[in-house]
Amino acid sequence: KNSQILDGTPFNFKAYMVGKATSVNKALDDAVPIKHPEKIHEAMRYSLLAGGKRVRPVLCLAACDLVGGHESAAMPAACAVEMIHTMSLIHDDLPCMDNDDLRRGKPTNHKVFGENVAVLAGDSLLAFAFEHLATATPPGQVPPGRVVRAIGELAQAIGSEGLVAGQVVDIDSEGVEDVGIEQLEFIHIHKTAKLLEASVVLGAIVGGGTDEEVEKLRKFARAIGLLFQVVDDILDVTKSSEELGKTAGKDLVADKVTFPKLMGVEKSREYAERLNKEARELLAGFDPHRCKDE
Amino acid sequence: GIPSTSSFDLRSYWTALIQEINQKLDESIPVSYPQGIYDAMRYSVLANGAKRAPPVMCITACELFGGHRLAAFPTACALEMVHSASLIHDDLPCMDNDQVRRGQPANHVVYGEDMAILAGDALFPLGFRHIVSHTPPELVPETRLLQVIAEIARTVGSAGMAAGQFLDLEAGPNAVDFIQEKKFGELAECSAVCGGLLAGADDDDVQRLRRYGKAVGILYQVVDDILAEKMKNEEREKVNKRKGKSYVSVYGVEKAVEVAEDLRAQAKKELDGFEKYGEKVTPLYSFVDYAADRGFSIGG
Repeated sequence: KNSQILDGTPFNFKAYMVGKATSVNKALDDAVPIKHPEKIHEAMRYSLLAGGKRVRPVLCLAACDLVGGHESAAMPAACAVEMIHTMSLIHDDLPCMDNDDLRRGKPTNHKVFGENVAVLAGDSLLAFAFEHLATATPPGQVPPGRVVRAIGELAQAIGSEGLVAGQVVDIDSEGVEDVGIEQLEFIHIHKTAKLLEASVVLGAIVGGGTDEEVEKLRKFARAIGLLFQVVDDILDVTKSSEELGKTAGKDLVADKVTFPKLMGVEKSREYAERLNKEARELLAGFDPHRCKDE
Repeated sequence: GIPSTSSFDLRSYWTALIQEINQKLDESIPVSYPQGIYDAMRYSVLANGAKRAPPVMCITACELFGGHRLAAFPTACALEMVHSASLIHDDLPCMDNDQVRRGQPANHVVYGEDMAILAGDALFPLGFRHIVSHTPPELVPETRLLQVIAEIARTVGSAGMAAGQFLDLEAGPNAVDFIQEKKFGELAECSAVCGGLLAGADDDDVQRLRRYGKAVGILYQVVDDILAEKMKNEEREKVNKRKGKSYVSVYGVEKAVEVAEDLRAQAKKELDGFEKYGEKVTPLYSFVDYAADRGFSIGG
């Protein structure tokens, strides 16, 4: 595929995403077979294999590739981050949390399997992410020290210093009048960007990146993590439901604090531009053929 | 109390160890922003009256093979964190709907269901992170850490404790053996195995620890069930003295006592295989008797 780029053929982002997502879907399908007790495993598979863009696992694979690692070195890590993402969605959708009935156009996990099974399916996916990372990462390609480091990174990203912290502050700030920009960024950095960051960092670690490369990619991931959210917020107020494929203005209705609400659409756009530029600059110094995006 | 078959003072051994474990656990969850989630996590992990059986088992098994106690503490704490996490989730209204845990209001009663879910979700990864960041690298090679992490993850996951809780909820008549084995047996098994792995025990010894831990874990629960049944019968007698114990429950208790005797013998037989390690095996023997003899004596 690199020769294609060298030949001058433009990088096809969509084809790249679809190709990688297909490999990830296959790996996820193989990773969680149906076994006893069937219902929990069916519930795990129901949400895990429900589609989705696989942004996190693809970022993980791309980061591994960028530092010169083989795809098979990062596939278990890629699956692990998707398992974590899925478990956080299952728990987020529960009646005592966001109380959502639909996810990606399908009934949410607890609607199909019941709340108790949804809680357990989430817990099981969380545990399995770590088991899979620890046991399925090929020891011939990735020394144990790197796997241990990857486990530490993942654990930090999803716990009370990461994903969970974002969810807690998000819950605390609902309906609150004076949510500031710092608090809003805290929510998104923790709820969204931390797991994206971990996805990239895990790929770079298992791929054998140097400390300097890992840290550069960490900053890159932070920037795009926030960028994702800012753009999401802008789209929520500027596009119709039809264009988005989901309910537009949902954040406004839910009285959620957003970037356009705090700084206006125009300033939000400028902010997104800045983050975009910052992310690109952080990729300078890597092999340009391996980080091409257009 | 403590069985006469052992001169080893289990109570003071445990009391000292529990104090150390409680202190390590306290340090392992420093409060930060947002404070609410740390309060919820600490509330359950640091609850008074926790017996700390999994961490004690882990440390004891590690020391059996000459492993340093410091090598085992982070994993011991992690076992208690994942234990707490699964209890918090088990108590939720959509699960067992328990309002009280260890004599205190359940986590969700104090902090709300959403925080209880999140406290559990945060404690699982904190356990793994604690092992990675706190185990002294000069004492435990990374390959062993990976084995320990995989062991714990497997134990709490869809084929372990989560499976046990699910089957408990479904509660089919034939599910009982499986639940006992999975939900309560496996944490003891996992704790013993982790201790051995951390100390670098060979495969045969780890397998022996596995069989020992499994037997102790199930024994512990069978005895719990017997005690619960006896208490229920006593209550019933108080309420209606003319009515005797139900035939079924009497038969159930007798059968359970037999099972408990078998498990005790099995667990001790496994430990006989550790003879070469001398007196270091003693605490593991006393675990078996403790699990069996709390409050009453099996077989008179």
